[in-house]
Amino acid sequence: MADLVNLTIDGKAVAVPKGTLIVDAAKTIQNDIPVFCYHPKLKPVGMCRMCLVEIGTPKMDPATRQVVKDDKGVVVIAWQPKLNTACTTPVSEGMAVRTQTTVVSDAREDVLEFLLTSHPLDCPICDKGGECPLQNLTLEHGPGNSRFEYENKQHNAKHVPLGDLIYLDRERCIQCSRCIRFQDDIADDHVLQFHERGRHMEIITLSEPGFDSYFSGNTSDICPVGALTTADFRFKARPWELGSSPSVCNHCAVGCNTTLNTRLDTKTGINEIKRVMPRQNEQVNEIWLCDKGRFVHHYTRAGDRLQKPLIRQNGQLVETTWERALDLVSSKLLGASSVAAVIGDRIANEDAHLLTKLVNSNAKGETRLSPALPASYADLARDYGVGVGFDMKQLGKGDVIVVVNGDVEEQAPVWFLRLRQAVVDRGAKLIVSNHRGTKLHRYAAHIARYEQGMAAQWAAQTDDAALSTEELTKARNVLFVFGDEKLDAVSARGLAQILVGKLVAAGQIGKPNSGLLPLYPHGNTQGVFDIVAGTRHSGNPGVLSVDVAWLVGVGDTSDAPKARFSVVSELFMTALASVADVVLPALSFAEREGTYTSGDRRVQRFYRALPAVGQAKPDWWAVQEVARRMGFVWNFASPAQIFTDLAANVSYYSGLGYEVLAKTESQWPPVGRDDLYYGGTGYENDGGIGVRYASNPSVISAPTLPKMITSMSDLKGPARKLYQTGELIKRSDVMQTHIE
Amino acid sequence: MLKDKYKDRIAAIFAKYPPERKRSAVMPLLDIAQEEYGYCTEEAMREVAELCGIDPTEVKSVVGFYTMYYEKKVGKYVIDVCDDLPCVLRGADKFVNYCEQKLGIKAGETTPDGKITLNVVMCLAACDRAPMCQVNTAYHYDLTPDKFDKLVIELKKG
Ligand code: SF4
Ligand code: SF4
Ligand code: FES
Repeated sequence: MADLVNLTIDGKAVAVPKGTLIVDAAKTIQNDIPVFCYHPKLKPVGMCRMCLVEIGTPKMDPATRQVVKDDKGVVVIAWQPKLNTACTTPVSEGMAVRTQTTVVSDAREDVLEFLLTSHPLDCPICDKGGECPLQNLTLEHGPGNSRFEYENKQHNAKHVPLGDLIYLDRERCIQCSRCIRFQDDIADDHVLQFHERGRHMEIITLSEPGFDSYFSGNTSDICPVGALTTADFRFKARPWELGSSPSVCNHCAVGCNTTLNTRLDTKTGINEIKRVMPRQNEQVNEIWLCDKGRFVHHYTRAGDRLQKPLIRQNGQLVETTWERALDLVSSKLLGASSVAAVIGDRIANEDAHLLTKLVNSNAKGETRLSPALPASYADLARDYGVGVGFDMKQLGKGDVIVVVNGDVEEQAPVWFLRLRQAVVDRGAKLIVSNHRGTKLHRYAAHIARYEQGMAAQWAAQTDDAALSTEELTKARNVLFVFGDEKLDAVSARGLAQILVGKLVAAGQIGKPNSGLLPLYPHGNTQGVFDIVAGTRHSGNPGVLSVDVAWLVGVGDTSDAPKARFSVVSELFMTALASVADVVLPALSFAEREGTYTSGDRRVQRFYRALPAVGQAKPDWWAVQEVARRMGFVWNFASPAQIFTDLAANVSYYSGLGYEVLAKTESQWPPVGRDDLYYGGTGYENDGGIGVRYASNPSVISAPTLPKMITSMSDLKGPARKLYQTGELIKRSDVMQTHIE
Repeated sequence: MLKDKYKDRIAAIFAKYPPERKRSAVMPLLDIAQEEYGYCTEEAMREVAELCGIDPTEVKSVVGFYTMYYEKKVGKYVIDVCDDLPCVLRGADKFVNYCEQKLGIKAGETTPDGKITLNVVMCLAACDRAPMCQVNTAYHYDLTPDKFDKLVIELKKG
């Protein structure tokens, strides 16, 4: 690379890209210069002085403007008279850095002695204890004692609610401003600031409602001490007692990688999720999560989880055995002349595939996606989606991002953070078009407006110069982010089609960072669609009339076909379950493994973190048991085997398998748990970073489409809000005041 | 509401800044707020935030940083004594103790008659003549208990 800069750190030669800060350069050769305020995801501020090092540059002869060499021909280094912060100083050619000298270690001792003057040292009851940079660095570099008088310790409030999700302990805060900078520079919700100066400096908020941000939990992760804790995890467990399993959030199309921290609950005696943490994936969520993904998990251990199969007898649902329930379902299916499966878009690919396979064996079997509307455009979103090599972090100067009819912060929160950075930090041009205001409007170079429901008409007719073929052709890449809010099936597909047309006209097809990016309702809309799309078609389930319907994870009652006999696989006694003939208790994503396909077509594995609840079983198991009773010779022992079958049947997934999906890559910056260097309690990616399957711009649309569209004529996309009520969020105590 | 009562002054302030830099007006607007209410009330901070298009938390942060913005009711006269290191080397800490004793209040408090507030503040840029203080906008140098007694008599009159 042309832009490499050479320097030495403690005599060791390093070459790093121009602009790299000394701390990061040192990290590449495993030299951990201690830091508190510096965080590789935030702009450096040099506030804590922990990273002081000796810095020198080649001595120049002022007369000859040549580098001075000693008699042995070695370049003479001019050392700066004072120590300097490694976190704010970029490397330069020939620079020399000393990190292990007495002056440096004295400085580290002194800084720690100051930081601890008023620190309460309550590690034994601190949530961060065990994963705390202050603890670790004090052990490694601290003075061991203090010259400050104990009586002069300043005492501050220890339980300050900054909102109902995050608490501040003022004594523990070391004023590093990471939380403030996260809120200012990444979330753009300026709800935290410093107040006063010197020894009186403290974090304050005037936010109303408290900590008004969808991303507040991240501040607790990156706080280098135990000053910010979440209402959810506060005093619940010590970090070293927690089990951890890689997982994937299924609440929106982003597909954030998570780690589920679990432990036996002492009161209930059952294993439960204690916290949901980000699992680093620089391609997906980096090290962030939204608060929904972080705090909604409580439904997995809600007291009203279905534990046993139920069948309807004399008008009542009564408990039964799996044996009887499965016998009943298989006999009904055998006798049925028409069958439908409706599959919710948070159901794993494996379950969707097996149920689809079973239903398709019926000559009149139909499979449908729920919610249904995305099926009207998901084929276009897939075939004209971003390229295999798509990397949101590469979007910047020269690129055009167009957001049409979507509210990215509400509908795909972590994409909001990342798209915003592409625009604000890296100079991508943002065009926003909507019938209402959204937070992304703040950064738009160009704003267009249309009447509610008229997105497609707007896109078809706009003579906006910013969207002209000429402008879009000039762009390095064009990314169309779009949603279906207030659109019916015809206009939702119409919108996608027009956007495809623009991509084609501008020659923006087949590039990694150009294409469509859909704002789907949940975490596996694309996956379930991919599976049902190839079968007898995938329109509106509400218009079907069948003998037997099997509904898995379906929330919306209008997605239920008219059926003589209905089977519902569910976690809870939902509206649809309560009117079913058979109710099968399902496992939540945390109690089993499987895969989801994100909105940008990344297929990702999630793993089992908790034991089953009662007699609940994974949906694929129930489907297979029914199939066997119907005479199929199926012997899928695990989701991995089902996935292999899926990959053999759904062409887009060919070549994929559990092994490749579990592959990881080393992530930069290293912010994972085993490497506490930069601080932050997120996890390294140990479960696989997933694989994006290729789009296929040569197929434009399935022939069944027009019929499908008519079947959806009465559907309209809702205005989805992040905290809108639902079966899952309503079972999370900590989220109660946020639910809309 | 400031925005109605001081409409013209506010407009004149905003005219000094480019329209996309409205946040730059936060300090002059806080001056108006303090003039109106005697100190920066939370309501006033929210009002200023709205006028400048920033978050109220950011306004409070500004108020907290500068010692001449007050967050609670102050006396007619505010005595700010600098107790930064150079001033302390010249006896400012003992001087503050004397002031507290003389006024019968602690630093940060106001006399019961509402006349005088005593504050200790950061650098007032006059350490060469410490102990020193600022009374509202006027500086007083080379202070002694004697001089302070006289100063207090003057202030209590006014
Ligand atoms: S609360 Fe934590 S992140 Fe925020 S300034 Fe204090 S120590 Fe830093
Ligand atoms: S952004 Fe979406 S996928 Fe990520 S944590 Fe939030 S809801 Fe889950
Ligand atoms: S000053 Fe460099 S890490 Fe804080």
